Amino acid sequence: MVISKKVFLLFLIAFLTLSGCAGFKTSNSKEAETNGEGKVVVNFWSFWGSEIRRPVIEKIVEDFNKSQDKIEVKHTFVPWGDIWTKELAAIAAGNPPDVVINDINGTALRGMKNQAMNLSGFLDKDDISERFYPELWKATLYEDESYGIPFNTDTRVLFYNKDAFKEAGLDPEKPPTTWAELEEYAAKLDKKNGDTYETMGFYPLFGVESDVWMLNANGKNFFDVDGNPNIHNKENVETLNWINSWKDKYGDNTINAFKSQIDSQQGNPFFNGKLGMFVNTPTFYTQIRDYAPDLNFGVAKLPERTEGSGNTSWGGGFVAEIPEGSKNSDEAWEFIKYLTDVEAQEYWAVKNFDNVANIEASEKAAQNKDMSEKDQLVYQMAVDNMEHTLLTPVPTYAPDFMGLIKPEIDSILLGKKSAEQGLKDGQSAVERLIEKNKK
Amino acid sequence: MSKKLFTNKQKEGLQGYIFILPWLVGFVVFTAGPLLFSFGASFSDYNVTSQMDFVGLDNYKTLLTDDQLFWTSLYNTFYFVLFSVPLTTLGAILLSALLNQDVPGMRFFRTIYYLPAILSGVGVYLLWMQLLEPGTGMVNTVLSWVGISGPNWLYDPNWTKPSLILMKLWSVGGSMLLYLASMQGVSKSLYEAAEMDGASRWKQFIHITIPMITPVIFFDIVTSLIGGFQIFQEAYVMSGNGDGGPVNSMLFYNLYMWKKAFETFDMGYAMAMSWILFIIVFIITIFNLKMAPRWVHYEGEEK
Amino acid sequence: MKGRKNKVNPSNKVKHRKKYFESTKNRKKLLTTINFILLAMGSLLILSPVWWMISTSLKTMAEVMAYPPTFFPSKWNWQNYVRTWEAAPFNLYTINTVTITFLVVVGSVIVNSFIAYGFAKIPFKGKNILFALVLSTMMIPGFVTLIPQYVLFSHLQWVNTYYPLVIPSFFGSAFFIFLLRQFYMTIPNELIEAAKMEGASHFYIWRKIGMPLTKPALATVAIFSFNGAWNDFLGPLLYLNNENLYTLQLGLQVFKGQMSTQWNYLMAGSLLVLLPVIVLFFIFQKYFIQGINLQSGNK
Repeated sequence: MVISKKVFLLFLIAFLTLSGCAGFKTSNSKEAETNGEGKVVVNFWSFWGSEIRRPVIEKIVEDFNKSQDKIEVKHTFVPWGDIWTKELAAIAAGNPPDVVINDINGTALRGMKNQAMNLSGFLDKDDISERFYPELWKATLYEDESYGIPFNTDTRVLFYNKDAFKEAGLDPEKPPTTWAELEEYAAKLDKKNGDTYETMGFYPLFGVESDVWMLNANGKNFFDVDGNPNIHNKENVETLNWINSWKDKYGDNTINAFKSQIDSQQGNPFFNGKLGMFVNTPTFYTQIRDYAPDLNFGVAKLPERTEGSGNTSWGGGFVAEIPEGSKNSDEAWEFIKYLTDVEAQEYWAVKNFDNVANIEASEKAAQNKDMSEKDQLVYQMAVDNMEHTLLTPVPTYAPDFMGLIKPEIDSILLGKKSAEQGLKDGQSAVERLIEKNKK
Repeated sequence: MSKKLFTNKQKEGLQGYIFILPWLVGFVVFTAGPLLFSFGASFSDYNVTSQMDFVGLDNYKTLLTDDQLFWTSLYNTFYFVLFSVPLTTLGAILLSALLNQDVPGMRFFRTIYYLPAILSGVGVYLLWMQLLEPGTGMVNTVLSWVGISGPNWLYDPNWTKPSLILMKLWSVGGSMLLYLASMQGVSKSLYEAAEMDGASRWKQFIHITIPMITPVIFFDIVTSLIGGFQIFQEAYVMSGNGDGGPVNSMLFYNLYMWKKAFETFDMGYAMAMSWILFIIVFIITIFNLKMAPRWVHYEGEEK
Repeated sequence: MKGRKNKVNPSNKVKHRKKYFESTKNRKKLLTTINFILLAMGSLLILSPVWWMISTSLKTMAEVMAYPPTFFPSKWNWQNYVRTWEAAPFNLYTINTVTITFLVVVGSVIVNSFIAYGFAKIPFKGKNILFALVLSTMMIPGFVTLIPQYVLFSHLQWVNTYYPLVIPSFFGSAFFIFLLRQFYMTIPNELIEAAKMEGASHFYIWRKIGMPLTKPALATVAIFSFNGAWNDFLGPLLYLNNENLYTLQLGLQVFKGQMSTQWNYLMAGSLLVLLPVIVLFFIFQKYFIQGINLQSGNK
């Protein structure tokens, strides 16, 4: 390319000055073990970069740093999803960060694969396991030893429109308690104009997926305690057939149209009464607060399949873990203890309207004066629902079983396979997978 | 003239080695090591952090005989390649032909058509997810203007791969660049001579332009094939954090490999997968190379 | 000329041909017009997703999420662009990205043309095998070597620096080597032979003949490598730990949350990041549009 000599020289000079800049100092590569003031540096990675969450986590970090003078926590934002690829590469290279936020349901798997550090040594000295909801704590265990400390979590609850209830002749203080009542109430809330639905009472796949309902159906995960797959069973077949009946009732066009509106957030038909009932995380309340502050709504547990089968709900969450190979694990532990203690947890809960793992913090958050009365009501409901919430940790002997189950469920819901057949095929496929992995 | 230490031929050969030296060094230092490692690891149960025991051909055996998703992902990938490569190659050639004329505003047109190729990153995939929404997305809206009721693009297993092919066609301007550069190199005197013989523009295109740009067509086909087999990012973003789409219709080979590597941490298994893909692509490329002399015309060579 | 054809071809053909098209000039005009219309229509199709990006970037979040979606923003919120730029240290990210990209482009253009010339025009033992090896490196899915390469760079102390992002482009890339080799092979051997007769080394031939004759290809490599480096996401993601070393694409990720995406800022940011590439492409078009006469033997 024709560039005049002068221009080229300019570039050369620019390059030489730039090369002095930070990007080319190989000293960057060695993460400072101690910073200039002799404090130990703890590298903390999270994916919380949004306008809302980032300031919250930064404040927590700042408070910790100010509260003592031996450790300095450095927080880096790494994009969601890719953060864990990066973590893995760093572990492989032997210079991982010291604390990482990771998905709770994969903790046991990561423990088994030696990616996360075994925390039993730390727990022997500081047993903090009692701080957390037992279901969450259980999920972090592999062979009875913990590999991550629960940080936050969520659950699924049923939101319903009290005014719409009244209008349809239903008692606004009595949300549906069983699947049968759910169908009955939805039918009363439906409003049709000729052949099109103007108002939908309820649709089970808005806000959650079919696996939540299968969990709700019998309170059992896809795997039993001994690790045998429990996919093809009566209740799951019944659940999928039940969901298909809703699909047949409303038809694909209606469902798709309503779904787009729900995805648009502000145009969620729940806000203007066009959707009578809606399942979602308690954080959905923040959307109601922002987009439909005058909505007269209620929150309830998920209905039981039949009376007595349990109001089981599903939850996920995140842990703070120490990657294997971290050089400052003692200091990392100190930070994790702070991160999951009452003060930090309550702050997180209130600012983000998020369920946290620390029991005491959850209950205090529900009474926190920064929360309005309505806020507190919904939050308390979320906290109470933890009692019914199950987690679904990834089975270490068949970690990618969902890749075999999901297409079956898809086929069933598309009407290409019967629920009976699909679940049966899924069951045998997973059994094969387990056999293979045993080798 | 020159010392008789080396023959002229050898001297020339030496120059050749010097020219390719940068690549050789780079290969040895940066690539060979990791490649050999991955090859070795494919015969083990390597999972990055806790184990690396030799398992012989187990990974390969399991893949070929006992893994239904392997075949699913292979089918998906072949489907995609079979449609996208010919369509995008033809599209790019035709587009370049149109853009190689003296039409007013050509600079703008070229920039416009090239735009999609530089719009990269997750933002674009998310954008397309919005555009492909069955109810409200722009694609179906535009289709409805001409009376076609668009399908459930990303939710219907029969239409997920066509959605991706559509997206690829949108960014066909990327290879247009290559063809434009190549068409510019075709001597004008050839066209003038043909014009004088009364050849129509179309005939000129078929008999002059196309043959003269066959080196670049060859390049485009080979690289599109290689690239097509490696499709990953689109499916990862557009199928809800990489679950492979409805009924695994977007579970492409690379995506399945990714899941094996980074979700179940079966790194050795994933590496075996990559070598199988390598063999497939290698065979196809060799085939292309062998067929090349029949239709590729290098002006400067006697071949 | 067309008139001559008419006299040669008898009556039936004359009847079917309108006199208007007998004139070559008019024919050319018609073709050009058709061409223009086709291109214009195509442009609309191509640009509509881009318009969607622009329109989204100017809406408020509420309007972005409105149902049914609107084609035009009700109010053109130009301040979105300001807020986007302020959401993260994008000025710094720009400087970082420019540094990396500049080095990558310089390296890619010079080194790859050097290597490709060797493969195209110099006979040496084992050339074909080595070239096959070059091609093979393209066939390995990238992330299989991801972890081993990361470990390698880590041992070299290059993690958290720009070295892993820049240095490899000074050692050639299979894609560009292949591309440039194809272009070099269209240079007639006679030119090379003639130069060799006069005692020129291949190095001289490469600099004085090879490079100038493949300017369009070099421009293409420049654009492609610029794109690659400017939009590179995986490399910076893996190798940069300090946020003040982050590049633009990494910076855009702050708008993508776990729960929800800030569409308007994400689109605005993506468009801003895109701008330099478009401008460069527009300006440098002439480098691959210049006609170069290979056959005329003028060189």
